Amino acid sequence: MVKEGKDVIFRIKRFDGEKSYWSDFVVPAQKGMTVLEGLFYIKATYDGSLSFRASCRMGICGSCAVKINDRPRLACETQILQLNSSKIKIEPLDNFKVLKDLVTEFEGFFAKHEAVKPYLIRKDESYAEPVELIQKPEELQVYYDFSFCIKCGACFSVCPAAATREDYLGPAAMAAAYRFNADSRDEGRYFRLATICSDGGVWRCHFAAECSEVCPKNIEPAKAIQKLRFQSAVYMINRAFKRW
Amino acid sequence: MSWLKWFEFRGKSIFHLSYSFHRLTGLVLVLYLLMHLSYLTSLTFGREVYEAFIATTVTPTFLIFDILLVLVGVFHGVNGLRLVLHEFGLAYDARRPILYLSYIIAFILWLYASYKLYVFVMGV
Amino acid sequence: MAFEKEELHTRQVLEPLGWIFQLLTGILLAILVTFHFFETHLISHEGLSFENVMLRLADPVHKAVYVLLLAAVSFHAFNGLRAILLDTSFGFSNKNAIHIVVISICIALFGYGITLLLVV
Repeated sequence: MVKEGKDVIFRIKRFDGEKSYWSDFVVPAQKGMTVLEGLFYIKATYDGSLSFRASCRMGICGSCAVKINDRPRLACETQILQLNSSKIKIEPLDNFKVLKDLVTEFEGFFAKHEAVKPYLIRKDESYAEPVELIQKPEELQVYYDFSFCIKCGACFSVCPAAATREDYLGPAAMAAAYRFNADSRDEGRYFRLATICSDGGVWRCHFAAECSEVCPKNIEPAKAIQKLRFQSAVYMINRAFKRW
Repeated sequence: MSWLKWFEFRGKSIFHLSYSFHRLTGLVLVLYLLMHLSYLTSLTFGREVYEAFIATTVTPTFLIFDILLVLVGVFHGVNGLRLVLHEFGLAYDARRPILYLSYIIAFILWLYASYKLYVFVMGV
Repeated sequence: MAFEKEELHTRQVLEPLGWIFQLLTGILLAILVTFHFFETHLISHEGLSFENVMLRLADPVHKAVYVLLLAAVSFHAFNGLRAILLDTSFGFSNKNAIHIVVISICIALFGYGITLLLVV
């Protein structure tokens, strides 16, 4: 049951570049107020040095993913009173280097995404004479769900393989790789598979499937990775036999 | 000590917990495998050594460890079969019911095996 | 520019083969370990007596099953350990060393087990 207006304590993990510490703030939460609005309230009222990322406020940019009560969620899509708790714990995402307070480094995450070549690759790239690429609805359905990734990093933060191995590509990058491999208009799957088949790729996944549990867009990265795994195995075995 | 993160359970779903248990039970079973070779080794020393070995390890004191070991083995086996299914890309959409079913099957098999062990060791 | 193919070494095929065999030995073990537990604990109260153990080891069919069980469990256990070690940063930088050590211990233990099975 959602009460009308209640004081909720935000317990936030801070980091000033040298040490971490916790700060508590009282936020007068109203019905419908999101955790992100609470963070802006704290920044405006109590402590202007509180740092966090945010942009669209509507769950499409992926900037505001943070750990709320031990679970990564988008701050703009989480309503304070629906958490049903008088104390909310907010921390930066795991498996990312913390820069300040709730802001983490994302360069590595984006570099891994780039490494899988997340764009259509075609043999014939004559833009002087453009041609429409026809795709049937059934062909779209194969990869459509995986195209909604907003690169928020929630999946990467809960992945046990990403926690212990730095070069692991991660669920988001691999879901992006599958999205293009499965796209009927794409002709470059063999160029992605080399990265996917490396040690830091698909072979580090052992189906903890936590990524699919926390994705705010319900993309199911775990599903993409298993399908990618099968593709990689077939590809690698075929290549080995062709050489012999 | 980053490997401790494999066993983090705060805020994690039952899927991640199953992963943690699968890894833990796997490691326990590797250790058990090494210990188990001692049984086979004792056989090469003849009847007396083997029977002395059995007499120390197949006793009511060790029963609790045996029952825990069976739990470890049954969990790893049943969960492993679930992983085989999903890692081939099959039945992903049914992953939640399959997970619950595998826990139920593992529990039932464990109860049965433990009961038999108990009857055997306690001589009931 | 997007079309530079990255070359794979033939040796890298061992990775998907390792994955496939981990799953296959897993299925095999689920059957064989159940059978082994059945024989030693669930058929009779005398499953672990010296006589019965020696009887089983003398039978060639049983012996073959034990060899298969030892092979499957050795592969599954040490490939599993290899995968766990490769999941770490240590594994990232020491891949070859880990392979050498894990494979050596696996072969050594398998060899020891086979010698015991033949001697007893």
